[in-house]
Amino acid sequence: MSGRRGRISDDEINELISKLQALLPESSRRRNASRSSASKLLKETCSYIKSLHREVDDLSDRLSGLMSTMDSDSPQAEIIRSLLR
Amino acid sequence: MAAKRTAPPPANPNPNRRRVTSAADDSASAPPSKRMLAFHFLRALSRIHSSTPVPRRTRTIRRAAYSSMARAASPRSAWSRALLRQVRVRRAVRSRRAVLMRRRVSAAPAPPLGASRSSVSAGQTSVAPPVRTPPPRQEGEPARADALRQLIPGGNGMEYCSLLEETADYVRCLRAQVQLMQGLVDLFSGQ
Repeated sequence: MSGRRGRISDDEINELISKLQALLPESSRRRNASRSSASKLLKETCSYIKSLHREVDDLSDRLSGLMSTMDSDSPQAEIIRSLLR
Repeated sequence: MAAKRTAPPPANPNPNRRRVTSAADDSASAPPSKRMLAFHFLRALSRIHSSTPVPRRTRTIRRAAYSSMARAASPRSAWSRALLRQVRVRRAVRSRRAVLMRRRVSAAPAPPLGASRSSVSAGQTSVAPPVRTPPPRQEGEPARADALRQLIPGGNGMEYCSLLEETADYVRCLRAQVQLMQGLVDLFSGQ
Protein backbone atom coordinates (compact mmCIF):
# COMPACT_ATOMS: atom_id res chain seq x y z
CA MET A 1 0.00 0.00 0.00
CA SER A 2 1.33 3.36 -0.84
CA GLY A 3 0.07 4.84 2.38
CA ARG A 4 2.13 6.91 4.78
CA ARG A 5 4.34 4.03 5.71
CA GLY A 6 6.72 3.85 2.82
CA ARG A 7 6.92 7.54 1.98
CA ILE A 8 8.64 10.13 4.01
CA SER A 9 7.04 13.47 3.38
CA ASP A 10 8.85 15.88 1.17
CA ASP A 11 8.79 18.48 3.87
CA GLU A 12 10.81 16.33 6.18
CA ILE A 13 13.32 15.71 3.50
CA ASN A 14 13.60 19.38 2.73
CA GLU A 15 14.07 20.13 6.35
CA LEU A 16 16.84 17.60 6.66
CA ILE A 17 18.48 18.97 3.58
CA SER A 18 18.43 22.49 4.87
CA LYS A 19 19.94 21.27 8.10
CA LEU A 20 22.72 19.77 6.10
CA GLN A 21 23.14 22.96 4.23
CA ALA A 22 23.59 24.80 7.48
CA LEU A 23 26.45 22.53 8.35
CA LEU A 24 28.47 23.17 5.27
CA PRO A 25 31.22 25.73 5.48
CA GLU A 26 30.37 29.37 4.94
CA SER A 27 31.72 29.82 1.46
CA SER A 28 29.54 27.22 -0.14
CA ARG A 29 26.58 28.35 1.84
CA ARG A 30 26.60 31.81 0.38
CA ARG A 31 26.69 30.50 -3.10
CA ASN A 32 23.71 28.30 -2.50
CA ALA A 33 21.67 30.92 -0.74
CA SER A 34 18.40 30.10 -2.39
CA ARG A 35 16.94 26.68 -2.63
CA SER A 36 19.53 24.73 -4.48
CA SER A 37 18.82 21.37 -5.81
CA ALA A 38 19.23 18.54 -3.42
CA SER A 39 21.66 16.96 -5.79
CA LYS A 40 24.02 19.89 -5.70
CA LEU A 41 23.85 19.98 -1.96
CA LEU A 42 24.67 16.34 -1.69
CA LYS A 43 27.60 16.88 -3.94
CA GLU A 44 28.86 19.69 -1.74
CA THR A 45 28.41 17.50 1.27
CA CYS A 46 30.36 14.70 -0.32
CA SER A 47 33.27 16.93 -1.14
CA TYR A 48 33.16 18.48 2.32
CA ILE A 49 33.30 15.09 3.95
CA LYS A 50 36.14 14.07 1.71
CA SER A 51 38.07 17.19 2.61
CA LEU A 52 37.47 16.48 6.28
CA HIS A 53 38.83 12.99 5.80
CA ARG A 54 41.88 14.44 4.17
CA GLU A 55 42.36 16.79 7.07
CA VAL A 56 42.19 13.90 9.49
CA ASP A 57 44.86 12.12 7.51
CA ASP A 58 47.05 15.17 7.43
CA LEU A 59 46.63 15.86 11.12
CA SER A 60 47.36 12.24 11.98
CA ASP A 61 50.54 12.56 10.06
CA ARG A 62 51.58 15.67 11.88
CA LEU A 63 50.61 14.26 15.21
CA SER A 64 52.66 11.17 14.63
CA GLY A 65 55.66 13.31 13.80
CA LEU A 66 55.14 15.48 16.84
CA MET A 67 54.63 12.59 19.16
CA SER A 68 58.00 11.15 18.50
CA THR A 69 59.64 14.34 19.65
CA MET A 70 57.60 14.64 22.77
CA ASP A 71 59.14 13.83 26.04
CA SER A 72 57.29 12.93 29.16
CA ASP A 73 58.35 15.92 31.18
CA SER A 74 57.06 18.60 28.91
CA PRO A 75 54.14 20.73 30.01
CA GLN A 76 52.05 19.23 27.27
CA ALA A 77 52.43 15.77 28.68
CA GLU A 78 51.31 17.14 31.99
CA ILE A 79 48.21 18.58 30.42
CA ILE A 80 47.40 15.27 28.89
CA ARG A 81 47.93 13.50 32.14
CA SER A 82 45.64 15.83 33.95
CA LEU A 83 42.96 15.48 31.31
CA LEU A 84 43.05 11.76 31.54
CA ARG A 85 42.90 11.53 35.27
CA MET B 1 63.79 10.62 31.48
CA ALA B 2 62.55 7.90 29.21
CA ALA B 3 59.91 7.04 31.73
CA LYS B 4 56.60 6.37 30.20
CA ARG B 5 53.77 8.59 31.06
CA THR B 6 51.68 7.40 33.93
CA ALA B 7 49.30 4.91 32.54
CA PRO B 8 45.86 6.31 32.04
CA PRO B 9 43.16 5.13 34.42
CA PRO B 10 42.20 1.52 33.81
CA ALA B 11 40.44 1.36 30.54
CA ASN B 12 36.79 1.51 31.11
CA PRO B 13 35.20 1.47 27.71
CA ASN B 14 31.75 1.34 29.15
CA PRO B 15 29.06 3.22 27.33
CA ASN B 16 28.03 4.59 30.68
CA ARG B 17 30.53 7.30 30.30
CA ARG B 18 28.81 8.58 27.29
CA ARG B 19 25.67 9.45 29.13
CA VAL B 20 26.97 12.89 29.82
CA THR B 21 25.37 14.52 26.84
CA SER B 22 22.36 12.33 26.40
CA ALA B 23 20.05 15.10 27.54
CA ALA B 24 19.58 16.76 24.17
CA ASP B 25 18.42 13.70 22.36
CA ASP B 26 15.09 14.67 20.92
CA SER B 27 15.75 16.47 17.68
CA ALA B 28 19.14 16.65 16.03
CA SER B 29 21.46 14.76 18.30
CA ALA B 30 23.98 17.09 19.81
CA PRO B 31 27.58 16.64 18.81
CA PRO B 32 29.59 14.67 21.34
CA SER B 33 30.95 16.79 24.12
CA LYS B 34 34.46 17.97 23.48
CA ARG B 35 35.59 16.40 26.67
CA MET B 36 34.44 12.95 25.64
CA LEU B 37 36.10 13.30 22.29
CA ALA B 38 39.30 14.47 23.90
CA PHE B 39 39.21 11.75 26.49
CA HIS B 40 38.87 8.91 24.06
CA PHE B 41 41.34 10.27 21.60
CA LEU B 42 43.99 11.17 24.13
CA ARG B 43 43.72 7.83 25.75
CA ALA B 44 44.25 6.15 22.42
CA LEU B 45 47.15 8.47 21.71
CA SER B 46 48.94 7.67 24.91
CA ARG B 47 48.55 3.99 24.21
CA ILE B 48 49.95 4.47 20.75
CA HIS B 49 52.81 6.50 22.10
CA SER B 50 53.98 3.71 24.30
CA SER B 51 53.34 0.76 22.08
CA THR B 52 53.46 1.48 18.38
CA PRO B 53 56.71 1.74 16.48
CA VAL B 54 57.13 4.94 14.58
CA PRO B 55 56.70 3.88 10.97
CA ARG B 56 53.14 2.68 11.43
CA ARG B 57 52.01 5.49 13.65
CA THR B 58 50.21 7.64 11.15
CA ARG B 59 47.89 4.90 10.13
CA THR B 60 47.28 3.89 13.71
CA ILE B 61 46.56 7.41 14.76
CA ARG B 62 44.11 7.86 11.97
CA ARG B 63 42.30 4.69 12.92
CA ALA B 64 42.29 5.80 16.52
CA ALA B 65 40.78 9.11 15.50
CA TYR B 66 37.84 7.40 13.86
CA SER B 67 37.24 4.86 16.55
CA SER B 68 37.51 7.34 19.36
CA MET B 69 35.12 9.57 17.47
CA ALA B 70 32.71 6.69 17.13
CA ARG B 71 33.04 5.84 20.81
CA ALA B 72 32.39 9.36 21.93
CA ALA B 73 29.35 9.68 19.75
CA SER B 74 25.96 8.59 20.86
CA PRO B 75 25.30 4.93 20.14
CA ARG B 76 22.05 6.04 18.61
CA SER B 77 23.95 7.08 15.54
CA ALA B 78 24.08 4.27 13.10
CA TRP B 79 27.35 5.46 11.68
CA SER B 80 29.13 5.15 15.00
CA ARG B 81 27.92 1.61 15.41
CA ALA B 82 28.98 0.77 11.89
CA LEU B 83 32.42 2.26 12.47
CA LEU B 84 32.96 0.29 15.63
CA ARG B 85 31.81 -2.83 13.89
CA GLN B 86 34.34 -2.23 11.14
CA VAL B 87 37.06 -1.82 13.71
CA ARG B 88 36.16 -5.08 15.39
CA VAL B 89 35.99 -6.95 12.14
CA ARG B 90 39.27 -5.56 10.96
CA ARG B 91 40.92 -6.56 14.17
CA ALA B 92 39.51 -10.05 13.88
CA VAL B 93 40.71 -10.33 10.31
CA ARG B 94 44.16 -9.20 11.26
CA SER B 95 44.56 -11.65 14.08
CA ARG B 96 43.08 -14.37 11.95
CA ARG B 97 45.44 -13.61 9.16
CA ALA B 98 48.31 -13.75 11.59
CA VAL B 99 47.21 -17.18 12.69
CA LEU B 100 46.87 -18.38 9.12
CA MET B 101 50.24 -17.03 8.15
CA ARG B 102 51.82 -18.78 11.03
CA ARG B 103 50.11 -21.98 10.06
CA ARG B 104 51.16 -21.61 6.50
CA VAL B 105 54.75 -21.02 7.44
CA SER B 106 55.05 -23.91 9.82
CA ALA B 107 53.16 -26.52 7.84
CA ALA B 108 54.26 -27.76 4.45
CA PRO B 109 52.46 -26.20 1.53
CA ALA B 110 49.31 -27.94 2.50
CA PRO B 111 46.44 -28.64 0.18
CA PRO B 112 43.74 -25.98 0.38
CA LEU B 113 41.83 -26.39 3.56
CA GLY B 114 38.59 -27.33 1.99
CA ALA B 115 35.85 -24.87 2.59
CA SER B 116 37.72 -22.78 5.09
CA ARG B 117 38.53 -19.25 4.16
CA SER B 118 42.18 -19.83 3.59
CA SER B 119 42.04 -17.51 0.68
CA VAL B 120 42.80 -14.57 2.90
CA SER B 121 45.93 -13.63 1.07
CA ALA B 122 48.33 -11.05 2.35
CA GLY B 123 47.53 -7.74 0.87
CA GLN B 124 43.86 -7.97 1.37
CA THR B 125 43.01 -5.16 3.66
CA SER B 126 39.34 -4.67 3.14
CA VAL B 127 36.78 -7.03 4.48
CA ALA B 128 33.71 -7.86 2.54
CA PRO B 129 30.84 -6.85 4.79
CA PRO B 130 27.90 -9.20 5.00
CA VAL B 131 26.06 -8.68 1.79
CA ARG B 132 23.02 -6.59 2.36
CA THR B 133 20.36 -5.90 -0.16
CA PRO B 134 20.17 -2.13 -0.45
CA PRO B 135 16.84 -0.75 0.63
CA PRO B 136 14.45 0.17 -2.14
CA ARG B 137 15.34 3.50 -3.65
CA GLN B 138 13.05 6.23 -2.60
CA GLU B 139 11.42 8.23 -5.27
CA GLY B 140 12.94 11.58 -5.89
CA GLU B 141 16.13 10.47 -4.26
CA PRO B 142 18.96 11.96 -6.24
CA ALA B 143 21.60 9.71 -7.68
CA ARG B 144 24.16 11.55 -5.59
CA ALA B 145 22.90 9.75 -2.57
CA ASP B 146 24.89 6.70 -3.54
CA ALA B 147 28.14 8.61 -3.44
CA LEU B 148 27.17 9.85 -0.01
CA ARG B 149 26.40 6.32 1.07
CA GLN B 150 29.92 5.30 0.27
CA LEU B 151 31.29 7.99 2.51
CA ILE B 152 29.19 7.49 5.59
CA PRO B 153 30.05 4.35 7.51
CA GLY B 154 27.17 1.97 7.34
CA GLY B 155 25.50 4.09 4.76
CA ASN B 156 24.79 1.29 2.41
CA GLY B 157 21.96 -0.09 4.40
CA MET B 158 20.21 3.17 5.03
CA GLU B 159 17.28 4.66 3.39
CA TYR B 160 17.38 8.18 2.19
CA CYS B 161 15.90 9.93 5.17
CA SER B 162 18.10 8.28 7.75
CA LEU B 163 21.04 8.81 5.48
CA LEU B 164 20.51 12.54 5.66
CA GLU B 165 20.25 12.51 9.40
CA GLU B 166 23.29 10.35 9.81
CA THR B 167 25.23 12.56 7.46
CA ALA B 168 24.49 15.63 9.51
CA ASP B 169 25.56 13.88 12.66
CA TYR B 170 28.65 12.47 11.07
CA VAL B 171 29.70 15.85 9.71
CA ARG B 172 29.27 17.44 13.11
CA CYS B 173 31.36 14.82 14.84
CA LEU B 174 33.97 14.78 12.15
CA ARG B 175 34.34 18.50 12.36
CA ALA B 176 34.71 18.37 16.13
CA GLN B 177 37.31 15.66 15.79
CA VAL B 178 39.28 17.72 13.29
CA GLN B 179 39.16 20.70 15.61
CA LEU B 180 40.40 18.56 18.45
CA MET B 181 43.29 17.22 16.45
CA GLN B 182 44.16 20.65 15.18
CA GLY B 183 44.18 21.93 18.72
CA LEU B 184 46.50 19.15 19.76
CA VAL B 185 48.86 19.82 16.92
CA ASP B 186 48.93 23.48 17.84
CA LEU B 187 49.50 22.63 21.44
CA PHE B 188 52.40 20.34 20.73
CA SER B 189 54.09 22.41 18.14
CA GLY B 190 53.66 25.79 19.70
CA GLN B 191 56.06 25.29 22.53
